[in-house]
Amino acid sequence: GGEYQDFHAFDLSEATRVLEWIDDKGVCVAGYESLKKNEILHLLLPLRLSVKENQGLFPERDFKVRHGGFSDTSVFDLKHVLDTRLLVTSGLPGCHLHVWQVTEDSDVIQAVSTIAVQEEEGSLWPRVAIFSSMAPGVLHGARLRGLKVVDLETQKTTYSSGVGDSEELSSLQVLDADTFAFCCASGRLGLVDIRQKWAPSENAGPGPGAAARRWCAEVGGRRRGPGPSIASLGSDGQLCLLDPRDLCHPVSSGRCPVSAPSPAPELLRVTWAPGLDDCLAVSGFDGTVQVYDATSWDGTGGQVEPVFTHRGHIFLEDNQTDTAPLVTTHTWHPHKPRTLLSAASDASLHVWDWVDHRAAC
Amino acid sequence: MLDCGMHMGFNDDRRFPDFSYITRNGRLTDFLDCVIISHFHLDHCGALPYFSEMVGYDGPIYMTHPTQAICPILLEDYRKIAVDKKGEANFFTSQMIKDCMKKVVAVHLHQTVQVDDELEIKAYYAGHVLGAAMFQIKVGSESVVYTGDYNMTPDRHLGAAWIDKCRPNLLITESTYATTIRDSKRCRERDFLKKVHEAVERGGKVLIPVFALGRAQELCILLETFWERMNLKAPIYFSTGLTEKANHYYKLFITWTNQKIRKTFVQRNMFEFKHIKAFDRAFADNPGPMVVFATPGMLHAGQSLQIFRKWAGNEKNMVIMPGYCVQGTVGHKILSGQRKLEMEGRQVLEVKMQVEYMSFSAHADAKGIMQLVGQAEPESVLLVHGEAKKMEFLKQKIEQEFRVSCYMPANGETVTLPTSPSIPVGISLGLLKREMAQGLLPDAKKPRLLHGTLIMKDSNFRLVSSEQALKELGLAEHQLRFTCRVHLHDPRKEQETAMRVYSHLKSVLKEHCVQHLPDGSVTVESILIQAAAHSEDPGTKVLLVSWTYQDEELGSHLTSLLKKGLPQATS
Repeated sequence: GGEYQDFHAFDLSEATRVLEWIDDKGVCVAGYESLKKNEILHLLLPLRLSVKENQGLFPERDFKVRHGGFSDTSVFDLKHVLDTRLLVTSGLPGCHLHVWQVTEDSDVIQAVSTIAVQEEEGSLWPRVAIFSSMAPGVLHGARLRGLKVVDLETQKTTYSSGVGDSEELSSLQVLDADTFAFCCASGRLGLVDIRQKWAPSENAGPGPGAAARRWCAEVGGRRRGPGPSIASLGSDGQLCLLDPRDLCHPVSSGRCPVSAPSPAPELLRVTWAPGLDDCLAVSGFDGTVQVYDATSWDGTGGQVEPVFTHRGHIFLEDNQTDTAPLVTTHTWHPHKPRTLLSAASDASLHVWDWVDHRAAC
Repeated sequence: MLDCGMHMGFNDDRRFPDFSYITRNGRLTDFLDCVIISHFHLDHCGALPYFSEMVGYDGPIYMTHPTQAICPILLEDYRKIAVDKKGEANFFTSQMIKDCMKKVVAVHLHQTVQVDDELEIKAYYAGHVLGAAMFQIKVGSESVVYTGDYNMTPDRHLGAAWIDKCRPNLLITESTYATTIRDSKRCRERDFLKKVHEAVERGGKVLIPVFALGRAQELCILLETFWERMNLKAPIYFSTGLTEKANHYYKLFITWTNQKIRKTFVQRNMFEFKHIKAFDRAFADNPGPMVVFATPGMLHAGQSLQIFRKWAGNEKNMVIMPGYCVQGTVGHKILSGQRKLEMEGRQVLEVKMQVEYMSFSAHADAKGIMQLVGQAEPESVLLVHGEAKKMEFLKQKIEQEFRVSCYMPANGETVTLPTSPSIPVGISLGLLKREMAQGLLPDAKKPRLLHGTLIMKDSNFRLVSSEQALKELGLAEHQLRFTCRVHLHDPRKEQETAMRVYSHLKSVLKEHCVQHLPDGSVTVESILIQAAAHSEDPGTKVLLVSWTYQDEELGSHLTSLLKKGLPQATS
């Protein structure tokens, strides 16, 4: 349900699984096909969407390709190194991360270097997160045992998990200069302080029936007050909210109304709205993006209803193919509170803004 | 010369193209075989009368039939505004427009037109606006395709551009929108209708400045359909002057519109609207809501500017700019956010009306360009860009995807492309047979040298034997024979030296016929080698090697071989 404030649909030349912000004016997208050259594009948002309020008139409603580059390998993850012109990508084959540079005087994104990933894992690819500082470090790993931080410039390993645990990683997120969070595909969550030897505060480990489900998670910055700031999403639609001080007992949980388990659990994504309290977006089950208000749940795990569902990717589908498009990723606009971007497997890219009918917030 | 447009952003001589690129002092007619105009937009044809009648060009000007019909209307309209309203001097006159159009030769789509005995051109459908075409220009086996402005997706009244796999040496394509990813047409149309509806609902007046024959028809169809569906009563007007002519031309050139329009045209004329009426100047003062399409499109003068001045002060009203506005025009100013405009006589106009922008212009984006390159399969691509920005990424994309060279020259830059045209040459049967009879099998992988005479007559190339050529030309044959002396140290008799030469050559030149004749001389094919004693030094023998011009190569080879000396004789 819900009503649109605004909705713009675009078609990329190739589908993307990444939507990474470069400041608040542009996003990077990248192709994920194997066996062919993929494009990495730095897109400038249409002018009318890239400002805080609609001051005066901004005629431009098109994305502009500001920079483009070519990757021989598929790109499943792309991270911007804050305050630099560097990007780090990861995909298959998972034996290397690639570092790229976006320059001012050319519109070509140049390959700069590669970071070798010690353990190659066949169909697994390393998740990536960036410790941004004077000397940025790249946190990466496909499994807990291969998790390490590598200095971007010197390529020296500055931190290593040092464990033999072969659990597969699903999400990695840097929280501040010293901590990061991880979520394994099994649902195991942990917060790690890199100043100490590996000693994460974590949950008990996979629960019953966990093997059938795949999990991902995101830590959100809280705007005000205490409360759960970690959301974990299971491939059966279960959404759990946790307080970082007690990862073993979710504060609240609900079940998203999804008809079947996700056809591509690796695409599952849950995000916190940076500009709204207790507001989450979920995608990866089908061609929709669902927005939830966690305060409206009773928290006991029963079915919850989204406050808004973006169905544009299904409705605007041009070709009558058998496979309905699947939303591959979504992201919130950094400062327009109800604006999101979403991309789907049919190469569509949407920018939309929903009307909030909840009580004044 | 491809197109001849006016730069809409300048009011001085900078608005005209710089024809000195063609020739500095010569007559343009001597340097150009023809001029091709791709479509009627002023940035493609606006300088044509200036070029032909004021600078001076008397050759043919090619364009499609709709372009020929519509061009003079736009040129006259433009002239009127420049001269009558702005008082410009040194502008082309109405008569000049007429004289210029007399030089026009109209062409049909896919019709091969012979410009002269070497040059031919062919027009392809380009979409974009009524009558727009892409042109293939061909001389012999070399060709160039120039796209003008084109669009690869069909819209409500025009189809998509199309070209066959003509494989030109060069494809010249516009790339103004190459770095743009446009939002879906449905979203844009929905937004446009929403805005118009909102304004009209609150009693406001909506002004839509348009180019008379372009997107206007598209928007009319869109509004008409919407008004019908929503049962709206507010009047919609289309300003006169160009209305009737516009619809007349769309009807006349119905084959240039898209399939859907042609089909529905049988039941109902798509360009005769139920809800859209002709505008009268007085209507602008009528109370209540209305929508008016008025020309020109950038609010730079004329009726649209007049109406704008009347309605600008009321915030209930709205102006929707439907296209790109060149710097300097009122359209550009208000789109940039200016709300206080200085008009003639130092009057300041305060703009309180809502200003919106909705671009429906149909240009090819990167995807469209790649599609066209894929259709035509050129050897090289040249990008013409509206703004001088770097498009290195697109260049690389095209080069990698299609394995072609891609050029992006700046204004004034010359690009030179090497081509390798294939020139067919007929070889006479007699010559072929003679070569085959040489005895050695031809090797498909190695080039084979043969001697013949190339006769070029009336664009016909023949390779015949020298004898036949001489016969045809009625000339006597001369024999050229070369003789070379090679000195060898050998104290024995000449006959023995000759024997040594024979044995040596026999073993070394296995693929040639080496013979020892009874008179002591040695032959290699038709080359003769004779040994003689040196007149002064009995220890030295002189080998006389003689060959005809035809055996030059073997002759020189033999000579250098012999100069190396002979192996020691075995006893």
